[in-house]
Amino acid sequence: MSRRPSALRPWLAPLGWLLLLLAAVFWLGELEALFRALEPSARTLIYPRASFARLLLNHLAIVAAAALLAVSLGLAAGILVTRTWGRDFLPLVSQVAAIGQTFPPVAVLALAVPLLGFGSLPTVFALLLYGLLPVLRNTLAGLQGLPAEVLEAARGIGMAPLRVLLEVELPLAAPVILAGIRTTLTVTIATAAIGSTIGASTLGDPVIAGLVNGNSAYVLQGALLIGLLAISVDSGFDCLQRLITVR
Amino acid sequence: MRSPHAASNRVVLSLVALAVALLLLGDFASVQANRIAPGRGLGLFVALGPAWALAVLGALLTLAGLALRPSPARYRGMLALILLLLIQLPASLGWFIQLHIGADQPQARAGLASGCWSLLFLSLLLLIEVRQRVPAPWWWLGPGGLLLVTALLIQGGELAALALLREYASRSAAFWQALRGHLGLVGGTLGCSLLLGLALTGLIIRLPRLQRPVFGVLNFFQTIPSLALFGLLLAPLSYLAAHSPLLQSLNVRGIGWAPALLALVAYSLLPVVRNSCVALQEVAEEVLESARGMGMSRWQLFSQVRLPLALPVILEGLRITSIQAIGLTAVAALIGANGFGSFIFQGLGQGAMDLVLLGALPTIALALLADALFSGLARYFQPGGRR
Repeated sequence: MSRRPSALRPWLAPLGWLLLLLAAVFWLGELEALFRALEPSARTLIYPRASFARLLLNHLAIVAAAALLAVSLGLAAGILVTRTWGRDFLPLVSQVAAIGQTFPPVAVLALAVPLLGFGSLPTVFALLLYGLLPVLRNTLAGLQGLPAEVLEAARGIGMAPLRVLLEVELPLAAPVILAGIRTTLTVTIATAAIGSTIGASTLGDPVIAGLVNGNSAYVLQGALLIGLLAISVDSGFDCLQRLITVR
Repeated sequence: MRSPHAASNRVVLSLVALAVALLLLGDFASVQANRIAPGRGLGLFVALGPAWALAVLGALLTLAGLALRPSPARYRGMLALILLLLIQLPASLGWFIQLHIGADQPQARAGLASGCWSLLFLSLLLLIEVRQRVPAPWWWLGPGGLLLVTALLIQGGELAALALLREYASRSAAFWQALRGHLGLVGGTLGCSLLLGLALTGLIIRLPRLQRPVFGVLNFFQTIPSLALFGLLLAPLSYLAAHSPLLQSLNVRGIGWAPALLALVAYSLLPVVRNSCVALQEVAEEVLESARGMGMSRWQLFSQVRLPLALPVILEGLRITSIQAIGLTAVAALIGANGFGSFIFQGLGQGAMDLVLLGALPTIALALLADALFSGLARYFQPGGRR
């Protein structure tokens, strides 16, 4: 790939959002005067219980754990049921993936509590379950959507099944699979914020605390950070997707 | 290539093995002395007594036996067994309550434990699997019978000790109010986003250069997490409400139905606009040409050709929108919107899991119903789909 200066241009948008996010994480605490206008009577104006940086890191850790597991499991399951010896399971798995996406994420999150209690673990578990489905669905769609002649040709020139998978099927299905991973990330980041209500410490904390205590300054701080995080990640992924599709 | 007798159905075998293992290893149901006391879990044999337990296990093992060498007739046998397993489930809970909770314990509650949930879940998976191996139009008797028997037992008071129903009994008025609130918000969202979405679609079709910016904005909304969007709307809405008597008289505040509806409509526009744009733009040119050739006016062209052809795709957009809105309405309980979410978050706050279930299960049920309704409508309006 050529590394002309213009190759950096598509990354300007995600970079800008990321800088905005970092600026907010480190300097939101300095804007007390601004929040004073919003909430003149409140005693504290900046969310006091944890630093925004800590909350961001927690949020990212939960999202990363859930998304990594979801992507690897979803990809593995999608590949297994499209092989000859796993094909028996294909109809069931693809129907379950379709029905599962009807379940509201917040309900899945709530149902994880009776199983696993409060905290980060049930949050990761619920996000994993829910995040699995878009990856699985798109993996199935991507792998099944390949033209049969291509696979026939690959086998015809003597490629072993593993090589067909790694060098033909997955690269060709990659754009569709990536779109699934992007959906998973969006849902995971959004639902992790709601994970605050089941005891996971995330960027949702200031929002929930602000709503409970009637302090709209906290709410605004949390909401800004969550929004910026989601947009940064999504726009970064947008670039990645375009890069892969163009090549 | 493969004759029906050739190979065993490994899917059914694995599901049955999993069900038997979970039934034997986990608790089937639990008893609580009152709402706060910790539950005591009971295994399958203790919970239901040996006869009922053996019958359930026997049905599962017969199922596995039939799956070893499946044939169409055996698949129908499997389907019948699965229906029995589903229908006996509520009855087994009634039996469990009769065995373990006496009439002298009005505070005691029965809870569903992992065994019961996994039997329900795996039976449904078995139903999905077997249903597509053999044509049997009566498969719905399983879920239908499950619901019917449950309703009958609730009506007869046999399941009154079920923790979920105890929670319902102590707040039945709030439950129906939550249902109305939830449906009201979802319905309002669907109505607003349909009107606005079709207007935007019309605009895009007239002025195609607007397509990119409009979709850019709508995509942007989809990216913002719901909690953030609710939070971001709070301050501006409170400000507006504080300075406008009209908005105050409509009960618009920074929290409540107003920010919820605004956010839900913002999320709903993308599926509606995307699907109606695709549907209306992709009507084949030859179809339009021949319609024009027949001398149709612009309005006739729209109402008799474009719209009927586009309707299934637009309905698919509404399906996505309604499922999304049902889930997000539950989240909107955090900002004071009325709906099943308030039970979920109250229950989480009090550590009362049955209350969480009372909010989460109806939310899921509503989403599944909306899915079935709109897929059914889309199939009905499919050109040539009306039977």
